[in-house]
Amino acid sequence: MPGLATTGANTSASASPVVSFNICETYASFLKNEELSAPLAAILALSKLIETSDAGTMLELVKALNDGAGALKASTSNPISLNAGCELFIAFVTLLPHDSASFSDLKLELVRQGQKYAAEALTYRDKIANLALGFIKDDSVILTHSYSRVVMKTLLRAHERKRISVYVTEARPRGLGLRTYEELTAAGIPCTVVLDSAASYVMDKVDFVLVGSEAVVESGGLINAVGSNQIAIIAQAANIPFYALAESYKFHRLFPLSQYDLPTHTSNVLSFPLSSGGNVASPPTTGAIKSAHERSSDADYIRQMTPEQIACNPGVDYTRPDLITLVFSDVGSLTPEGVSQYVVGMFAG
Amino acid sequence: MSATATITMTTLPSKSTIKHSPAQSHVEASSQNQPPKSQKQMTKAERREQQERQRAAKAATKVAGPQPSGSNQNSAQAKNSASVKKGGKGPDGKPTKETKETTPDDSARGLQIFSHFGLPKPPGPSKGDIHPAIIRLGLQFSEFKIAGANARCIATLTAFKTVIQDYVTPPNNTLSRHLLTHLSPQITHLVSARPMSVTMGNAIRELKLEISGSDIDLPEQDAKNLLCQKINDYISERITIADQVIQETAGTKIKDGDVILTYARSSVVEQVLVGAWDDGKQFSVVVVDSRPMLEGKKLLSVLSAMGIPCTYLLLPSIGSVITEVSTVLVGAHSLHSNGAVFSRAGTALVAMMAKQHSVPVVVCCETYKFAETIQLDSFTKNELAPAGDIFSSFPLTRSKDTLTLNKQPNLEILNPLYDLTPPSSITAVVTEVGVIPPSSISSIPLALGRTTL
Repeated sequence: MPGLATTGANTSASASPVVSFNICETYASFLKNEELSAPLAAILALSKLIETSDAGTMLELVKALNDGAGALKASTSNPISLNAGCELFIAFVTLLPHDSASFSDLKLELVRQGQKYAAEALTYRDKIANLALGFIKDDSVILTHSYSRVVMKTLLRAHERKRISVYVTEARPRGLGLRTYEELTAAGIPCTVVLDSAASYVMDKVDFVLVGSEAVVESGGLINAVGSNQIAIIAQAANIPFYALAESYKFHRLFPLSQYDLPTHTSNVLSFPLSSGGNVASPPTTGAIKSAHERSSDADYIRQMTPEQIACNPGVDYTRPDLITLVFSDVGSLTPEGVSQYVVGMFAG
Repeated sequence: MSATATITMTTLPSKSTIKHSPAQSHVEASSQNQPPKSQKQMTKAERREQQERQRAAKAATKVAGPQPSGSNQNSAQAKNSASVKKGGKGPDGKPTKETKETTPDDSARGLQIFSHFGLPKPPGPSKGDIHPAIIRLGLQFSEFKIAGANARCIATLTAFKTVIQDYVTPPNNTLSRHLLTHLSPQITHLVSARPMSVTMGNAIRELKLEISGSDIDLPEQDAKNLLCQKINDYISERITIADQVIQETAGTKIKDGDVILTYARSSVVEQVLVGAWDDGKQFSVVVVDSRPMLEGKKLLSVLSAMGIPCTYLLLPSIGSVITEVSTVLVGAHSLHSNGAVFSRAGTALVAMMAKQHSVPVVVCCETYKFAETIQLDSFTKNELAPAGDIFSSFPLTRSKDTLTLNKQPNLEILNPLYDLTPPSSITAVVTEVGVIPPSSISSIPLALGRTTL
């Protein structure tokens, strides 16, 4: 099926992403759509790449896709979830049976499939919300972490028929928990923000924990905003169920052996400063201080971390599969072992 | 028959030889009451008792000699009870075990516990015509010149290639049917040398499948060449290339500055470490070893010849280094459906210790090592290392006799070769189809595109 392997001009034109098609810009423009998450935006960006690519054979096309995916990964510091989307799309491209007449027909078919998948994927959140609804009883107290679109949809759906109240952790340093708070309160759901450090304090009042995900990995574990692992450990200690909501395009072939085996764990994270130019004992004079007059009474002085200090901290963490009770996905509700079986089956073709 | 029934009841209270006395007195009573019957007229029980009497008499005359008549009677009774209990199969091995006389019989020394493992013994005289390649292989196995799941499987398949090439189909027979019967005694000979490993079992099963599926119309040499080609493909695909894929995958888990701990000697782990070092990663290795086999020494010599910084220690001291270790990398003999790993004795300790200290345990295992059975503990199925010091490589300061401890009547040497690591202690299993958690072994056939392993 693949035509003659044309070397030289063809490969160079499709390999360099800057010529007529900038994948990073395309990706960023797709991301502006609130509904699209990172993996879907990546899939759409890669479909666009196929559209504008002039690769003549399957081999060249796959190489161009891999180059594009590499460029996307390099452009962001947290490439895990967009990597999941890229790998899914590239696996789909390589495993699609070639029964089209010509290569350009095949490319059109691939682009069409990519866009169709993205459109269908937007319905996944509703599917997951309906699935999780059965596990939410009337008068439940739910704990959630940071901001997640899937969780938001689920909570709003539950609020239509049942009474729920929600605790949300602040999720420093980005403070996305406050966004959750605003949206839930606007919908009329009783909500309270708790400190990240108060998670164990609140755990005994909670019926179950509900979190979203950046990626679900091959071991059945979860990658989510930093703090999720903590909450999972506390939930297990208190015998509270821990549910994760994840669309199927977030399933990733990554297998972290520990927290430090993640691609986001660079040498900068958790590093100790050098003693020569150290900022170990410097007072946080450059911190974001609310108002000048607060400085006068030392007892009320709220210190903040400097941006350099925040940069030494991780953005995501890894929750082990034995801490997770169930993963709700558009393919059904899976145990963590079931997730790994699904991922193996998915990528085996 | 009612007369004999009442006689059995009255003799019940005597408990010394429980099974024995009712039978014996029964026999005596019946011989008193009735004239001796011919074989056909006796009941099955009576025939059996007669058999036992004859056997006991034979054994009694055999072991007669320095013992006084009292103990003779005892030993005869004990032998009899033993044969009654075990169904009377071969009085040779059992009497020496039960009676503990002062005539030691080294080759039949049994273990009171773990007797179900069977005694390791050199392969006996071969029955039927066994191919010389197989005889040589059997000797190599029994002397542990070839050890390790991969090595044994490759050696077995290579020997079978020779056997197949030398095989001639007898007239009026088809290759696909007769070759199987020809191979059976060869396989039995190998099993008698050393119990078959899971890898050998899986490979032989595939081979038998290929043989029985071979085309009848093919000329014989072509069919044999095809089989040899299939064997080569199997070795290449499921062992050699699989090892390369595992080397690359596991190599990504090794980072600069890591301290990798490994146990004994796994061919796959050796490849992974050598490959990662060749890629330029800077790491150091801790080799943990244990007696009596001390296989880690070979791995140590290979790694240090490459320039990898190594530490070598024995299993009991693992607690002092485990806190410095970043990853544990071990091999496997076989992997079971419940996710448990069957590997060299001592691996379970290493894995549990690592788990205790939150060190990830990575098992490197090809898919052809998967056994569809479930194994829950280490002693249902295991193998004992042969007694004697075939592994010793220490310079001897005392004579070998004092070291082998064979002649001590109250001492039994127990050296199981394998143990079971529970799936809870394992973090990940690296196979050629990917990295999988041990609980998902059942998804591997799906990944390989077939219904069974």
